[in-house]
Amino acid sequence: MDMAVEGKGHPEGTPAGTEEVRPRLAVCLPPSAAAPELVRAAHRRAAALGAEWFALSVETPEQARLAPEGREALLQALELAARLGGQVAQASGVHVGRAILRFAREHRLTALLVGRSRSGGWRRLFHRPLAEDLLRHSGLEVVVLPVPEGEPGPAAARSAFAPSRRLLAEYGLAAAGVALVSAAAGLVSPWLSFTGVVLLYLFGVAVLSATLSRGPALVAAGAGVAAVDFLFVPEYWSFRIAYPDFALTLVVMLTVSLLISGLTARSRFQARVARLRERQAAAMYDLSQKLSLAADRETLLATAVAHLEEVFEARVSVLLPGADGELRLAAGPPLPDDVREAMVARWVYRYRHPAGAGTATLPAVQALYVPLGPPQEPVGVLRLELPAKPTAVAEILPLLQGLARQVGLALEREELSRQARAAQVEIEAERLRNVLLSSVSHDLRTPLAVIAGSASTLLESPGLEDATRTELIHTIYDEARRLDRLVHNLLEMSRLQSGRVELNRDWHDLEEVLGSALHQLEARLQGRSLTLDLDPDLPLVKLDALLIERVFINLLDNALKYSPEGQPITLRAFRSPGEVVVEVADAGPGLPPGAEAQVFDKFYQAAPGRHRGVGLGLSICRSIVEIHGGRMEAANRPEGGAVFRFTLPLTEDAPQNGREMPQPEGGPPHEAPYSPY
Amino acid sequence: MKPRILLIEDDVHIRRFLRASLPTQGYELLEAADGREGLALAASQPVEVILLDLGLPDLEGIEIIRQVRQWSRVPIIVLSARDQEREKVVTLDAGADDYLTKPFGVGELLARIRVALRRSLQDREGRAETFFEVGKIRVDLEKRRVFRAGEEVHLTPTEYKLLTVLIRHAGKVVTHRQLLKEVWGPSFVDQGAYLRIFVRHLRRKLEDNPARPAFLLTDPGVGYRLRAPEE
Repeated sequence: MDMAVEGKGHPEGTPAGTEEVRPRLAVCLPPSAAAPELVRAAHRRAAALGAEWFALSVETPEQARLAPEGREALLQALELAARLGGQVAQASGVHVGRAILRFAREHRLTALLVGRSRSGGWRRLFHRPLAEDLLRHSGLEVVVLPVPEGEPGPAAARSAFAPSRRLLAEYGLAAAGVALVSAAAGLVSPWLSFTGVVLLYLFGVAVLSATLSRGPALVAAGAGVAAVDFLFVPEYWSFRIAYPDFALTLVVMLTVSLLISGLTARSRFQARVARLRERQAAAMYDLSQKLSLAADRETLLATAVAHLEEVFEARVSVLLPGADGELRLAAGPPLPDDVREAMVARWVYRYRHPAGAGTATLPAVQALYVPLGPPQEPVGVLRLELPAKPTAVAEILPLLQGLARQVGLALEREELSRQARAAQVEIEAERLRNVLLSSVSHDLRTPLAVIAGSASTLLESPGLEDATRTELIHTIYDEARRLDRLVHNLLEMSRLQSGRVELNRDWHDLEEVLGSALHQLEARLQGRSLTLDLDPDLPLVKLDALLIERVFINLLDNALKYSPEGQPITLRAFRSPGEVVVEVADAGPGLPPGAEAQVFDKFYQAAPGRHRGVGLGLSICRSIVEIHGGRMEAANRPEGGAVFRFTLPLTEDAPQNGREMPQPEGGPPHEAPYSPY
Repeated sequence: MKPRILLIEDDVHIRRFLRASLPTQGYELLEAADGREGLALAASQPVEVILLDLGLPDLEGIEIIRQVRQWSRVPIIVLSARDQEREKVVTLDAGADDYLTKPFGVGELLARIRVALRRSLQDREGRAETFFEVGKIRVDLEKRRVFRAGEEVHLTPTEYKLLTVLIRHAGKVVTHRQLLKEVWGPSFVDQGAYLRIFVRHLRRKLEDNPARPAFLLTDPGVGYRLRAPEE
């Protein structure tokens, strides 16, 4: 292909106003069969100059109406560009020239390459050749590449003029409106002067302009003047004008009509643009608000999907790459069973360029795909299945891309903070392991030493008194029990920490769970005063009985440990809105000031060395209460001593006492004499 | 003749301490170090009680219980670690009679053995008790009347049925599923809430302090146990 260079503005090779070492150029691709040729030409040129180059496609509302052949060609061109080492880029806007100029500014281009053809798509869309327009406004080097004769897709040209169904309806409406005004004017003409008739028509045109788009409004204006000429200007029933002053009136009427329709259409367009912008700004703001509230990745994705579905009234899915780099559904409804859908998604992710239904690229699929996150580095792909015919894609695309970028950034942020948290957890775990090792080795060794010592005394001293023997045996037994408790707590903690705890939840009576805890603490409760104050009407609570029993045991054990003998311990359980509250209060020295939250930390001990244990009990309590969805807190009582409080959430469907209980299956038991065997 | 107990346990130390204690309490002890040996012994020798460890190296506890239950109703007491609640329930539902959590004291073990022996004796003799008495509670099973410290207590039919099922198994644990099935019927085995509510009612009527029950005891995560008269 021959390359004709028209460097109208600046001499070739000396781009205006730039000190860049490496030139950057972009080839603007029309949606026609010429596009791939342009890409090859651009590639050759860029290679010759050692330039970085972009293959730029422009999304405009007009383009949405283009025939599939043109889009296909454009897609091929973009793929070709990507293969040839060009960067695929897209600009969108209502006006092609301005969109390209904005792109050129943003990417600090040194040259623009455009195609020129006799009947190509561009020409039909602009009054002036695009190249001239660009040259005049950009101050860049603009290179016009000729496109081979006869190639430009006839389909593209044809379809560029094929009005949409809605537009056809508007033309119909314009014609009908003018006909209606004519009928009305005909009916009242005996009582109306010619001026009145003209005013009636102007009124009709104004009303029509307020509802129709520009083209139909102009048609209405013209048709109105023609109708007046035909019906009300002598000679009647002819376009001939008998007197010159009528001609003047008609000219004035035509001018006024056109002005009315033109101005109305423009102001409506501007209002629409303003509304659109406002909606976009609101949607962006709204989304950023919602995203900032999302606590984790799942919530974030769900929030984003819900928001996008609301804004675009579409079915929205998010696809994110897995560890292997393959895109997978992360949120929203699954993709339809169509291999092309996944293909388009991969294409979008790879070439960072919107594609799919309604765009110039791969429009055969059901949905529109846009890259998620910053355009240079997408984190995934957003899929939108728009409900209506996808003619409006070019209009929503800037907003959609803006939102997709926000979502992508939020995802990235979330991922970074997750990594930071993981690192923090790792450090914390390491520290805990060290504390655990030293603390456990001490606490395991002490009872072991006692057991070994007592046992060896029994073995090696045959002459011991019976009382001493019994005492030693008791010591061994007690220490073994203590060791068992300690090991149990350690195992429990590691089980809770590992996150592998499977809650075995069922409806339970708190009184019963407390009862079995008290049963286990029986020996330690001897001689202590424990007051139970349980609301007799407590509902059943859905909980893991063994774990909550552990909470009771640890809290009571803690109260026994830290309050002096003879001081009462009180356990209260009562109902408050939406939850059950349990309090264990002691009359001991209370918590050190400021330690109210610290006591739940692992290995925390209020008075190290004075009491035995590793300081895991309360930490276990908190973990258990929290996985049940409750809260755990500690405080000092105004009357002295500490109070530990935990809550368990109540659900609405909690079974009530005895009501709605089914009778046993079969006959009532009292009908036959009972025999247990 | 001394009652013969078969101990199936792979841990030498547990075997050693039981060997030291059970014979002094009037029992004859047979030992098996793994499941196959245990099954062979149970099949070849008459035994009155089987003590079965749940962590055997060769066979699952539940497998041993199923096999023994094919030919024998001998009481089986399962010995298990503390965090094996689900396994306990499964073995109990599969036909084990009772369980003990390690570490356990000899006193506890002897009590369970006594309950098991009494129950299998009653089973064999087919004798129906007409009265059940534990602590302050006395139940006249013929007249269907319940007394607490000499005063009559009125139970609803369901409460009474629950109590009689527990009496029938007095001294041994009855799992939640077994109770729901026997009292309410097979389609209610997952309705733990019913059971909890009726146990609460029974405790309020029979216990001095329902939060610290003396008769109707809870086996956390497993089921309920009515204290046996001899405990």
